[in-house]
Amino acid sequence: MTAESARRFEALEAQAQRLLATFTRAGYEHVAPAIIQPADMFLDVVGEQLRARTYVFTDPDGDELCLRPDLTVPTCRLHLARHPAGAVAARYCYNGSAFRYQPGGDTSAHPREFRQAGIEAFADSARETADAAVLALTLEAVREAGIGPFHLRFGDLGLFRALLGAFAMPERWRRRLQHQFWRPEAFRAELNRLTSPEALRAPAVARELIGRLDPDDPAAALAEVEDYLERSGVPMFGTRTVAEIAERLLAAAADALEPPLTADTANAIERYVAVKAPARAAVGQLKQLLGSIDLSEALAAFERRLDALDAAGVSTDRAEFAAEFGRNLEYYTGFVFEIVVPQLGRQSPLAGGGRYDSLLKDVGAPVEVPAVGSSIHTERLLAVLEETAP
Amino acid sequence: MSQKLVLALPSKGRLMEQCADALARAGLTVSKSGAARGYKGEIAELPEVEVNFVSSSEIAHFLKVGTAHLGITGEDLVRESMRDCDQRVSFLKRCGFGHADVVVAVPMCWIDVAGMADLEEMSAIYRRRHGRPLRVATKYMNLTRRFFAQRGVTGYRIVPSLGATEGAPAADLAEIIVDITTTGATLRANGLKVLADGVILKSEANLIASKLAPWSAAADAAKAQILARLA
Repeated sequence: MTAESARRFEALEAQAQRLLATFTRAGYEHVAPAIIQPADMFLDVVGEQLRARTYVFTDPDGDELCLRPDLTVPTCRLHLARHPAGAVAARYCYNGSAFRYQPGGDTSAHPREFRQAGIEAFADSARETADAAVLALTLEAVREAGIGPFHLRFGDLGLFRALLGAFAMPERWRRRLQHQFWRPEAFRAELNRLTSPEALRAPAVARELIGRLDPDDPAAALAEVEDYLERSGVPMFGTRTVAEIAERLLAAAADALEPPLTADTANAIERYVAVKAPARAAVGQLKQLLGSIDLSEALAAFERRLDALDAAGVSTDRAEFAAEFGRNLEYYTGFVFEIVVPQLGRQSPLAGGGRYDSLLKDVGAPVEVPAVGSSIHTERLLAVLEETAP
Repeated sequence: MSQKLVLALPSKGRLMEQCADALARAGLTVSKSGAARGYKGEIAELPEVEVNFVSSSEIAHFLKVGTAHLGITGEDLVRESMRDCDQRVSFLKRCGFGHADVVVAVPMCWIDVAGMADLEEMSAIYRRRHGRPLRVATKYMNLTRRFFAQRGVTGYRIVPSLGATEGAPAADLAEIIVDITTTGATLRANGLKVLADGVILKSEANLIASKLAPWSAAADAAKAQILARLA
């Protein structure tokens, strides 16, 4: 529950002012996006799982609105309202309420109304330095607030993308594996399927039709699928076109002709996902694990980020890299991090953030715009500070 | 607060008739009573029972909050209306009528889609092409969310639908539906097919007890009698 007493409300306010002072001093513009957001676009972007936790309502005009479940998407919208082109460098900070339905009830550890203080940096194409700057500033803010020892957890979805890029396989397989990365079981199942010649040659649907399709002749394949549908007398309707249906059947036909992933490739991918090590040591470990697989560019970026963090005074020796970290946070596309303090433990990080280069485009920008940000759980911060206060 | 057992029964439709038949076969004579325009009733053989005639979805709500001790309604409605079902109610007995499967159905012309895994993969492609997620028309928002989450399907949005859900894909209001079906005939007539692993719940009418109702000794005894007669 947010600020159940006036005293606690004032304490949160005072703390917010200190956090915002740190952010604005670093050149971040203080913005206050609207609390009430249009439900439609917001929920298209965050996905149904967060939608299930979003307070949605209809106003007297019949428009569907919602109480914002976080401040990142509203800040993206605010940026686009100012700069429709999107790719305009800007740095914002905010402190405000966010609202989420809590399936376990409204408790102090999981309040349905809570405040987020955070920063977002848009259109800075020096990605690793921008990543480091955002994390360093977040740490500075919580330190100035009075936080003592902490632990950092890193993940890097860019590294995983680069890993998939290093192996020979159709682009659609990479997309699938990336898409399933968040779901360990489905990920393993897909990896098994792509490793098995039998599975690839045995599509679960329209097997006989797929057998007749030639992946090298999409036009003929489309005609074949159209003909098949017409002869079967199935009514055609809906927003999905025959071309889209044919495309997926064609992909299955192509999969059947494709050499499966080698056991070595599948092993390398599985071993990568299992890597968990201190951030610096992880680089060496990954190089050793990958052998002849060349990930030098992505690993160089990873090291550049660590160097930038060191230069910004963030001691990376306290940071742990976990390749699988990043699951559950679906709009992130690159570096992700969490700040963990012993008082709260891993289940309730004090702050977190990362890179989300496709979100601005999802919200309406004409192109992808580099973006990185972080947010602090202010109620948790206050709880830790009150607990450790002398 | 009376010590009586409150039994909530469907107030209309086929389910009402089937409930009346089942109770009559069990030797329980239900009659409407009082000035409450037919919304209240009694059972001649069990004076400790007060009957409330309400809609099926209201019965689920009564059981959820404990306004009724017992009720007969569809399992689908009960599971839809409460997340913590097992904490709030117990399913005492399947009634053998009111059968309905809650299913995921897609257009038959989607010959490239057979199961939930196809849906997940397709949803990503659909989003890239159309710039928005797949839409699922349903009145079962909670059952849908839980089932899709279990199957790892995330790229969709629910469009609430309160009636004629099976027409939503043809009207371009949604791509997919989650709805109840008994024989599948209505779905087929609307050009839809059920996904191979798309049965969310095989539902039927149940005699259900609320754990939150104020159970008195008299209510307990009446419950035991109803159960014994229905067995």
